[in-house]
Amino acid sequence: MSKQIAIYGKGGIGKSSTASNVAAACADEGYRVTIIGCDPKSDSSITLLRGRRIPTIMDLMRQGVDIEEEDIVFDGYKGVKCVEIGGPEPGIGCAGRGIIVAISLLKKTSKAIEDTDLVIYDVPGDIVCGGFVAPVKKGLVSEAYVLTSGEYMPLYAANNICKGLSRLEMPLNGVICNSRGAPNEENIVSEFAKEIGSQLLAFIPKDVLVQTCEREGFSVIEKEPGSAIAAVYRKLARSIMTKSDARVPEPLDDARLRELTKI
Amino acid sequence: MPVKEKEPMIMHPRPSSIVAALYTLRDLDTDVVILHGPPGCCFKHARLLEEDGMRVVTTSLDESGFVFGGHDSLVEVLEKVIRRFNPKRIGIVGTCASMIIGEELHEAVMDVQPDVPVIEVEVHAGYRDNTKGVIIALESALAAGIISEAEFERQKSLLKEATMVEKRHGAASKEYLEPNRGDLKFKVAGRLLELMKQGKRGLNILNAKKETAFMFADINLAVNQIAEKLGSPIINMANLNEDVGLPKNRRNAREIKEELKNRGMDIHHITGGLDEYPVAGNSANQIIGEKYSDYDFAVITGVPHALPMDNINNMELFSITNGPRQVIPLKEMGHRHVMVEIDLHPRTLGINHIVESEFGATLREMAKDV
Ligand SMILES: Nc1ncnc2c1ncn2[C@@H]1O[C@H](COP(=O)(O)OP(=O)(O)O)[C@@H](O)[C@H]1O
Ligand code: SF4
Ligand SMILES: [Mg+2]
Repeated sequence: MSKQIAIYGKGGIGKSSTASNVAAACADEGYRVTIIGCDPKSDSSITLLRGRRIPTIMDLMRQGVDIEEEDIVFDGYKGVKCVEIGGPEPGIGCAGRGIIVAISLLKKTSKAIEDTDLVIYDVPGDIVCGGFVAPVKKGLVSEAYVLTSGEYMPLYAANNICKGLSRLEMPLNGVICNSRGAPNEENIVSEFAKEIGSQLLAFIPKDVLVQTCEREGFSVIEKEPGSAIAAVYRKLARSIMTKSDARVPEPLDDARLRELTKI
Repeated sequence: MPVKEKEPMIMHPRPSSIVAALYTLRDLDTDVVILHGPPGCCFKHARLLEEDGMRVVTTSLDESGFVFGGHDSLVEVLEKVIRRFNPKRIGIVGTCASMIIGEELHEAVMDVQPDVPVIEVEVHAGYRDNTKGVIIALESALAAGIISEAEFERQKSLLKEATMVEKRHGAASKEYLEPNRGDLKFKVAGRLLELMKQGKRGLNILNAKKETAFMFADINLAVNQIAEKLGSPIINMANLNEDVGLPKNRRNAREIKEELKNRGMDIHHITGGLDEYPVAGNSANQIIGEKYSDYDFAVITGVPHALPMDNINNMELFSITNGPRQVIPLKEMGHRHVMVEIDLHPRTLGINHIVESEFGATLREMAKDV
C-alpha cells in the first residue's frame, strides 16, 4: 500500500520546494515516488526535471488531444514520476472542476498513483473551493502535513487548513516548520503543533542554497547532496516514510494564535 | 501525440445524460431518485417518470448551495426520503451544478448509512453523447451489486452501438438538424392501403426503443390487421425478446408480445430485446437478406434509422419515428414516407398495454372505406 500525502500551507511558504526535496530524498533511498502538482502555477516538479516545464494535463485537455500516460507522466530525478495538473488562466473558467476532471483522467490513464511507494500531492496555498480538496474527498490522500513558519500569517493559514481538515475529518500527520528566520520560530511552531494535537516533524532552516539550486532547476538533494539542508530534507523524508501517528487536528482560536506568536 | 479528430459541434439541443441516467435507474426498478442540484433540473422528465412509479425528488440547491456546498441538503433529503417513502432501492444523481462545485455523493451516503442499496451516479449534462449517463448509472449499479458484470458488458456494447447509430443517421449526424413534422399521415396511409389492395408483399417491422414500443406496436398491429383483411402477404418482425435486458424491459416485451398475440398478430421473427434496438436492425437486415429481399414494401416503426439499407433499398419504405429531427436524416437515407408520432414517449409511461397511435388510427379509419 502506497503512502499518499498532501502538503498544505500558505502560498509561498515553501510547499513545492519541500515536496520536491522530499521526493528526491525518498528516491535516493530507493522508493518509487510520484509527485502531482495541483497548483495552477504548475511548478511542483520543475526542480526534479532540471528546470524543464512539462505539459500540464489541462493544457492537453484544452487542445483536445487524445491523452495517454506518456503525455502527462514524466520521469524526473531518479525516476520520480512527475505530473502537473495545471489550470485555466486566472479569472477564467473553473480551476476546481479542472482538478476533479484531471485527477479522474490521471487515474484512468496511468498507474502512477497506484504502483508506487509515495504519492505527494502538492496543493495550492488557498483551498478556494470544493475542487481543491478533490484528492482528499476521492480518497486519494491518506496523510496530510501542514507547512508553516513561525510568523503570524502563515500560522493563521495553517490553522485555517486545520479547520478544513477537521471538517473533512481528515487526520493530520504532522507540522513542518519551514523557517523564515523569525525569532523563537522552532518553539512557536512546536507549541502550535502540540496545541492542535499534532507534532513538529521537522525544522527546515532558511538556506539560500534552496533558492540557488531552484534557480538552476535542481533540488538541493540532487545539486548539493552533501549540504546541511539536504540532510534536513533527508531526515524529514525518513520520518514521513516511517511515522504514521495521525489525529484530526483541533484548530486554535484566533486570540490564542496571536498570543502564541508573541512569545 | 495523436490529435483527437475533433467532432463537429452540434447546435440543436439533444437528450441529456442526466435524464438518461434517470431512465436507467427506472429500468433498474429504483424506487426513489434524489437529484442533487437546482430545483428545476430535469423537471419535465422527473414528472414523467412519476407516471412509471419512480419518485424523483431534488435537493433544491440554490445560490447559497452553489457557494457553500450542498452536502447538508443532500443528507437531509436522503434522510427524509428514507422516512417518507421507505424505499427498497435509492438513486442519487448528480447535476452540472453539484458536479462543478465538487460535491461527493458518497459522503452523504456514508453519513446517513441507509440499510438499502444506494446507486450513486456522478453525472452532469455536459457529455456529448447522452448514453454516457446510462453507462455511469450502470457502473454504479454494478458497484452496488445490482446488475451482473455480464449484463453490464452487454449494456455497454449496446450503448456503443446506439451512439454509433445516432452518429451515422441520427440526432448526432449533423451540425444542425431542422425539426420536421414529416409527411401527412392520411396521404401516406392512402398509399399504403393502395399497395396492400394490390396484394403487394410487405415487411412489418417493429424496432423500437424500450417502452416506446407500447405505441409503435399499435402501428404494426394496424398494418397486420388491415393486410389480413385485404389479403396482402405480410411478414412481422419485432424486437420483443423477453429474455434479455433490465427487469422493466423484459416485462414490457412480454406484455406487448402477449397483447399482439391476443389481438391476432403472429410475430414471425423476433429480432432482439427492447433494449437491443441499435443491433436488432442488423438481425432484421440479415433475415430480410436471406428470405425477403424481393418484397415490395416495408413499414418500420420506432428507430427506423437503425436498420441498414442493404436489403431494403428497393422497397417502398414507410417509416414512423417519434423524433421531429429524425425526418430529414431518414429521407436522406432513402425512406420514401416518413411520419412522426409527436409526443409519443410521455404517453408510453406508466402503462402496460398498447396505446393507440395516430398513424394506426388513421389506417384503421381509412381501411373502413375499402
Ligand atoms: N528553507 C528554505 N530556505 C530558503 N528558501 C526557501 C526555503 N523553502 C522555500 N524557499 C523558497 O521560497 C520560495 C517559495 O517556495 P515554494 O516552494 O514555491 O512555495 P509554495 O509552493 O508554498 O508556494 C521559493 O523561491 C523557494 O526556493
Ligand atoms: S444546466 Fe445542468 S444542472 Fe442546470 S438545469 Fe441544466 S441540466 Fe440541470
Ligand atoms: Mg507551490
